[in-house]
Amino acid sequence: MEVVVQIVFGLIALLILVAATMVVTVRNVIHSALWLITCFFGVGALYLLLEAEFLAVVQVLVYVGAVSVLILFAIMLTRQISGEGERQLNSRWPVVLAIAALLFATVMAPTLINQQWNVPPAPPLGTPEPLAGPAELGRGFVNEFLIQFQVVGVLLTVALIGAIVIAFEERARRRKVLTLAEELELKRLRARETEATTPEPVEAEPVVRETRPASER
Amino acid sequence: MYDMLAALINGTLGWSWPEWALHLLSYILIVTIVLVVAPLQMLFLTYYERRVIARMQDRIGPNRVGPEGIWQPIADGVKMFTKEDIVPQAADRIVHFLAPCVVVAPTVLMFAVVPWGPGMTPVDLPTGMLFFFAISSISAVGLMMAGWASNNKFSLLGAMRAVAQMVSYEIPAVLSLIAIVMIVGSLSLNEIIAYQSGLLISNRDLAGIPDLGLGWFVFTPVGFVAFIAFFIAALAEGERTPFDIPEADSEIVAGYMTEYSGMKFGLFYLAQYVLNFLLCAITAILFFGGWQGPGVNWLYEQGITPANPTGNGLFNVLAGVLGVFYFLLKTYFFFFVMVWLRGAFPRLRIDQLMDFGWKFLIPLTLANLFSAALWVAFIRWGPAEGMLITVGWSPVLRWLAAFVVTLAINLGVYLWLTRVYAASQAERRRAELEELSATV
Repeated sequence: MEVVVQIVFGLIALLILVAATMVVTVRNVIHSALWLITCFFGVGALYLLLEAEFLAVVQVLVYVGAVSVLILFAIMLTRQISGEGERQLNSRWPVVLAIAALLFATVMAPTLINQQWNVPPAPPLGTPEPLAGPAELGRGFVNEFLIQFQVVGVLLTVALIGAIVIAFEERARRRKVLTLAEELELKRLRARETEATTPEPVEAEPVVRETRPASER
Repeated sequence: MYDMLAALINGTLGWSWPEWALHLLSYILIVTIVLVVAPLQMLFLTYYERRVIARMQDRIGPNRVGPEGIWQPIADGVKMFTKEDIVPQAADRIVHFLAPCVVVAPTVLMFAVVPWGPGMTPVDLPTGMLFFFAISSISAVGLMMAGWASNNKFSLLGAMRAVAQMVSYEIPAVLSLIAIVMIVGSLSLNEIIAYQSGLLISNRDLAGIPDLGLGWFVFTPVGFVAFIAFFIAALAEGERTPFDIPEADSEIVAGYMTEYSGMKFGLFYLAQYVLNFLLCAITAILFFGGWQGPGVNWLYEQGITPANPTGNGLFNVLAGVLGVFYFLLKTYFFFFVMVWLRGAFPRLRIDQLMDFGWKFLIPLTLANLFSAALWVAFIRWGPAEGMLITVGWSPVLRWLAAFVVTLAINLGVYLWLTRVYAASQAERRRAELEELSATV
């Protein structure tokens, strides 16, 4: 069983790494967004492998269902992005790679060297899983991590209001595209205007009105 | 399935298979059943919809292939398979090819958690409901891929509309479901169904109610509002008629499906009908008790269950048949309502759709969430949780108090919101007219 888990982990990890590499090397912006979604799926699968089922589902719900759609929306609504974008790597990429690897190593090396890897012994059979289900997580949010939870909530509300303020357009300044119904309305308004200005024969008027179908009024 | 196979192979036949083989066999069987049932539902639903909509429009509908046209969906399927598969020259071939798969796969995966009858859930996840909605949100990515890869303005417009609609109507749908989850205290679909036993009143809310499988959530004020909000949101998610803006054929040809032909188009079609079936099914499960109905629980208790391994297998089959019958009856009824709405209503405009979702449904479901919290407080909480009013009340009084309070809140919020919403729409209309007359 242990071997199967190792093999599955290896495959998923490979998928994540390949997808992540593709995200930064592919020329097309949309393609790189799609590779990013693959990467998110891989992370979800890893959670599933760790038996953190709730987290896996939330990963799919939040990252695949919401964040990636948001990214795709943002790309598609941005002007002047054609299908074939700029290549994201320029000729100096080895230098950048070396610097990035060095910085990453500075952070990771002390941790890796000093780590004792003392994995706790497996709990006796029958003990409940710690922090796995939604009920435990929810209880954590309203008891132990209440302040953090509230702060994140306020932050997200601020972001939401900010987005509305940025996206809000004054009615008068909006570029107007008339719908068919509005064009009809406009035509009718114009007709009424001309009706009001030009004097018409008094007797013919009611007859003309009555022959009009009711839907036009 | 595993229990039944174990009883059959190791018990009746005495072959003594190892446990893993039984598990493997049971999962293979389940997957096969699910993958066969999904397209069959689609075939039946297309025929059903065409006949019903024809009757509503004073026509006959498909009636040539077989008796009463019953083989029409199969003829359509053959036509789909034999059509030429056309990929536009300027399309992104790989993404164009992958998009239908990404749209269909999640809808079929959603079948995995649907409880068909007592003890008949393919995979009984403790987070089944969340899984259902998480998976359903993946198809938005597929729609985007289809719209973008086709390299066609109608496709892109359709995909944008579809995704905008799905994203904004997911919020009221999920908010209305959270109310139910709060009352049940579980995300498992089986738990939610088990809660709805009783007669008009759930016997989990008020012990001692006879169990006829009719304690549905729709009979409570919280459940009723949640049901209405959820069903409207489901119409928008399934792109059913008042909200079929993404594929408005009189405006943008067929939306994201414009550049697809042959079986790829068929796959989009399949995904759509399967999704509609699933949305109707989940409505039936969450608010109308799923397979609950008179007699099912009694029959199931006589059969082989984990609690009662010595029961009679015949009762399992009977309970299953009756449960599936009730479940499909409810599901097809909701599909009928969907077709009915299609026959009755014109298409909305996109700004009307967004206004209704954001300014009416979301506040209503938020108020409903508050009602749900009060419902739980009145029914279940004691002094330990800080609920001091209900100390010493009888269960009946508690239930009555919960019913009256939530009804008052929901009704009040509904009436207030309709007034505010109507006023804001009238104001908007007035502003638009003013603008128009200014341009004259």
